[in-house]
Amino acid sequence: MSFLRAFKYKRKDSLMHRLDPRSKFLLSIILMSFSVVFLNAYILLAILIFQIVLLGLSKTLREWVYSLRGLIFFFAIIFITQMLFSGSLFTGFVLSLRLIVLSSSMSWFFLSSTPEDIGRAMSAARIPMELTFSFIMAIRFIPVIYDEFQSIYDAQRSRGLELEKGGFRTKIRNLMPILIPLLVGTIRRTYEIADAMEVRAFGASPKRTSYKPLKFRRGDYFLCLASAILALIIVYLKLFLGLE
Amino acid sequence: MVEIVVENLFFKYPEAENYVLKNINLIIKEGESIAILGENGAGKTTLAKNLNGLLKPTQGSVKIDGVDTRNLSVAKIARKIGFVCHNPDHQFFAETVEEEIRFGLRNFGFPENEAERSIREVLKTFGLEDYRFRNPFQLSGGEKKRLAIASIMVWNPELLILDEPTIGMDYAQRLNIQRVLKKLVSEGRSIVVITHDVDFAASLCERAIILSKGEVIGDGCLRKLLSDSEVIEKASLKKPFLIELEEELGFSIMEEDFDEICDFLTRVFPKCHS
Ligand SMILES: Nc1ncnc2c1ncn2[C@@H]1O[C@H](COP(=O)(O)OP(=O)(O)OP(=O)(O)O)[C@@H](O)[C@H]1O
Ligand SMILES: [Mg+2]
Repeated sequence: MSFLRAFKYKRKDSLMHRLDPRSKFLLSIILMSFSVVFLNAYILLAILIFQIVLLGLSKTLREWVYSLRGLIFFFAIIFITQMLFSGSLFTGFVLSLRLIVLSSSMSWFFLSSTPEDIGRAMSAARIPMELTFSFIMAIRFIPVIYDEFQSIYDAQRSRGLELEKGGFRTKIRNLMPILIPLLVGTIRRTYEIADAMEVRAFGASPKRTSYKPLKFRRGDYFLCLASAILALIIVYLKLFLGLE
Repeated sequence: MVEIVVENLFFKYPEAENYVLKNINLIIKEGESIAILGENGAGKTTLAKNLNGLLKPTQGSVKIDGVDTRNLSVAKIARKIGFVCHNPDHQFFAETVEEEIRFGLRNFGFPENEAERSIREVLKTFGLEDYRFRNPFQLSGGEKKRLAIASIMVWNPELLILDEPTIGMDYAQRLNIQRVLKKLVSEGRSIVVITHDVDFAASLCERAIILSKGEVIGDGCLRKLLSDSEVIEKASLKKPFLIELEEELGFSIMEEDFDEICDFLTRVFPKCHS
């Protein structure tokens, strides 16, 4: 569950946090495309280095490293299946790299933008308010649910629950004392939030005002330019050099 | 019999920057009744979780009967040290109150007949007999709290740690919990109560550990510590009613009479309490 930490927004202030979410989103989509299009270790490494610079500029390297720890399980699966089917460690390495680049693009975006900013960007794109709001709530609640999971797990361990014990079926059965309180809590919270929103007149007027409108700054044009160049690089490497 | 020795304990949460607990040194012996007091965010819950192995020290050590908690599983510790977390909603999952209580007994492998007896006993202790087949999720806040305590006490741990046990409870139930816990202590078990309710602490516990900003600023006789205005202010506490009363009267009240006097006064002046 710890990879969910990657989506946890901590109030931080940095060069990147002050930029417009739309330009950051564009860049992160382009970076993500690299990992989808290419399976070339050099390209992926170059992109990874670029991402590390971005993460450094948004002062979120620490959180990013933490989120990678949550992916270790997937890396293990990738390595094992690659060992079994192709007998090559290198492919396992490249596929893991691809996974890192893919997830880092998104985590950089979420780590350096506030949920409110993302919401504003969605409204600006004329996505209906209800949808935007649900999406923002979902992002915001991932860390809350994570914390809740931890508390429930602690409570049940204090009552002698051992998840490590037993075979596969016992393990599944042992998850129930954790999943049920989590689910009940989440559903209950949904109702509470709905009530809390209604008493504060959510939805009373079709158009919500924003007290901090989005604005493109110099940095944003720079990010867009970088995205455009990177997009051209993708096209060049793929179509003209035929790299995989 | 259980003894916890905490040595130079420092603790910080994995991604946090600051230490939540700083240089804690404590010994908890059998038969003690301890209140952990301190302002919101002082680190009380964090300390409690370090005592039962849910959290492991960042530096220093917590030893239970001489064994470092790093080398013990939480389940193993839980058999000896019961921890009642403050939010009962975090632990309910069963369909009936009875099943909820049985969960711990099952995990620890109690035989069926013994389990049955313990369940009946604990239901009675907490006045939950009529709720035996009710759904835990449908209980009221105070009832849930009682069920949460019952579901830990049922396996009779040697030390019971309770995180804010009296929150949301009516006065009669608060007295009842007080009575139940007192009885445990008189039977030689130990209790550690985390609370903001100084009156509850004063009438139950002999010893107080006062935390402020992650440090122990006082450890010792509860009545002495809670007469110290400086400590009280630092930990955002208030003087227990009885100590105030003693100061007004100018002589000390016998310990045995505490409850009676408290009970009497709250009956006579229901509004004046606290
Ligand atoms: N899971 C966590 N991750 C990071 N920080 C935490 C976590 N839990 C608690 N903290 C921080 O540790 C500090 C101590 O918290 P703790 O819950 O131990 O306080 P407390 O004394 O029990 O307070 P209260 O009286 O409000 O229950 C707080 O500053 C809190 O923000
Ligand atoms: Mg607490």
